[in-house]
Amino acid sequence: MTNKILRDMLDRRTVIKAAAAAGVAQVAAPFVISARAADTVKMGLDDPLTGTYAELGRNEQIGCELAIDEINAKGGILARKVELLVEDSTSADTGTAVQKARKLIERDKVDFLLGNVNSAMALATGEVSNELKTFHIVTGGHTDAVTGTDCHWNVFRVCNTTRMETNSVAQTLFTKYGKKWYFITPDYAFGHTLQQGFEVFLKAHGGIETGASLAPLGATDYSSYLIKAQSTNPDVIIFLTAGQDAVSSLKQAVQFGLDKRFHIAGAQQELEVLEGLPPDARIGTWVFEWYWNQPNIKGLPEFIAAIRKRNGGKVPTARHWFGYTAAWTCALVANETKSLDAVKMAKALEGFTLPPEIALMPNKTYYRAGDHQLMPTLYVGHAVAQGAKDPEDLFVVDQLVKGDEAALPVAETGCHVKWPA
Amino acid sequence: MPLDRRAADAVVWLLLLTMPFWLNWIGGYTALGTRVVVLALAAMSLNFLLGFTGVLSFGHAAYFGLGVYGLGLTIKYLVPSSLAGMALGVIAGTLAAMILGMLIVRLRGIYFAMVTIAFGQVFYFIAYRWNDVTGGDDGLSGWRRLPVDLGFARIDILNSDSALYYWSLFWFAVAVAIMAALLHSPFGRTLLAIRENERRARFLGIPIDRHIWLSWVISCGFVSLSGTLYALLNNFADPHDLRWDQSGDFVIMAVLGGMRNFWGPLIGAAIYVVLQDYISSQTENWMSFIGLLFVLVVMFFPRGLLGMLRRRAAP
Repeated sequence: MTNKILRDMLDRRTVIKAAAAAGVAQVAAPFVISARAADTVKMGLDDPLTGTYAELGRNEQIGCELAIDEINAKGGILARKVELLVEDSTSADTGTAVQKARKLIERDKVDFLLGNVNSAMALATGEVSNELKTFHIVTGGHTDAVTGTDCHWNVFRVCNTTRMETNSVAQTLFTKYGKKWYFITPDYAFGHTLQQGFEVFLKAHGGIETGASLAPLGATDYSSYLIKAQSTNPDVIIFLTAGQDAVSSLKQAVQFGLDKRFHIAGAQQELEVLEGLPPDARIGTWVFEWYWNQPNIKGLPEFIAAIRKRNGGKVPTARHWFGYTAAWTCALVANETKSLDAVKMAKALEGFTLPPEIALMPNKTYYRAGDHQLMPTLYVGHAVAQGAKDPEDLFVVDQLVKGDEAALPVAETGCHVKWPA
Repeated sequence: MPLDRRAADAVVWLLLLTMPFWLNWIGGYTALGTRVVVLALAAMSLNFLLGFTGVLSFGHAAYFGLGVYGLGLTIKYLVPSSLAGMALGVIAGTLAAMILGMLIVRLRGIYFAMVTIAFGQVFYFIAYRWNDVTGGDDGLSGWRRLPVDLGFARIDILNSDSALYYWSLFWFAVAVAIMAALLHSPFGRTLLAIRENERRARFLGIPIDRHIWLSWVISCGFVSLSGTLYALLNNFADPHDLRWDQSGDFVIMAVLGGMRNFWGPLIGAAIYVVLQDYISSQTENWMSFIGLLFVLVVMFFPRGLLGMLRRRAAP
């Protein structure tokens, strides 16, 4: 009898329901208890952790984490501990990136917003941070508009504009390898902007564009473009392809023997990409935004050692440096102004020079007043198949270019910063 | 209308109306609620076609995105007015649906789905490649939603999160009320008849293609309305909004919540958005959890979460 009553009470569905309810409670509980310690200073990183840009986003996160541990070891910000909140912006869905920026600012009340690798997301989250008057450093989106036509009083950027990248490498190509260029350009906004940058340079210096091929994104066969390129007999073939497209196009260029007859070059290159290329496709002249193997830089050996410890033994890339520098910038400017007020910090950061152990670069590294673009050193050099001493030393720096010599003057960027009343 | 259904409606509206008050209290934030409402409207519009006409579209993101870009382009280049942007966005989406609908309503099943994807991708590539106008891959930025001036009152959706939420909820309510009224009309009943047995409906003399076309246009029209609201929420237009995987998200929301149920897609959208928001902060493998939930729902509750509850409640 008791058994039957018990069985009625505890039939299968009830048990399942109870289990489901317990499960939901597990998930929901931390959602409810989300209030965090109020006495910490919070930085929010809104960067892709899934999809195409996951590796780049992850590396920026590692850089931020290292910086925050160092900041805390040196007394934090305004004598308060610093905490890093990380949100996955995804690699393609800007709506999610915007949502995460709102979540960090409105719910988690972060004092600083960092991110994003993706240019569209950098622009879109810049709108959010501007609307909510939050100090924001863009870590890795290169489109000119971030510190150009869409610039904001609260948005700064540590990585370069596409124009700085093309200008820095163009000078070397022009003087060393010749003035007739052919472009192989991926057919989307980033590729077009890079090509335009080179074209402006060619025009100003009296060079000749022998032709250009627009390759659809994700193309696997570049033979027709390469045949056309060699038929125009240029001095330099410029590859603006990225990611898997760079792998395919450079591999095929080597198979065609183009690297023996023409100079191969391009704009931005990253260590992550070179490591992904087969050794015989690691060719050409490129520009790096930061490189780990530099002589006589204060604090650099310590930085490399610290990143190696967190990065599975691998050396830091430009992405680690972006995250590291961005997070340290926040701490430096807040401690200097003795305030977390976004307007005060943004005003103080105009013209702010980074100390050498944070800049980790040979020349003066400062945030330019007017467009809020960091003026770093650019590393023009060539890729090598094998590292001489370290397997990750895949790039040889030939020339250092000062950021303010590569960048457009503020007046030509299209940026007009409007400060809040 | 049975009493329990009326009670359910009342609970849904009560929860939606008070969302900004309790959402923050349980650890959410108002913009999250707005996102739920906007995406729920998209999923419910899709479900008008999927659940109540029995036709699966995998290209609704195209009309959603036309709403997004319609609003963005209007505010950026034509008139600085949120209302005008919404109107033009909805007109753009609905017009495109009317024209393309005539080409695809003759198809059924998988062929219908394939062609909707194909036409959807056309719009995606236009937005992606037309750099000068749409901003291409970088998206359309440099514009912002504007407060709505009604003449007698001014709704500040720019600076007030709650105002934007209630503005979205208002349009959600209008759209949902129209769809509910249509479903209860003879027209709606005819759609159900087509869903249940198309051949029989055809023998009854019902012009099937015209009905499916109408249902398609209504569905796409409301999806573009939700697109305009999404653009207001993000202050940004992104080519991803037009891509086929965005369409897939709408289908997942509808199926997750229950596509035979009027409120099903709302529940599905709420689960999808909140789960994404919460789990993706804990682990980068959040998509596996949504995928797992989707698989479980399809395997064990093919009528969705609400469908399961309803079936149990039925006598």
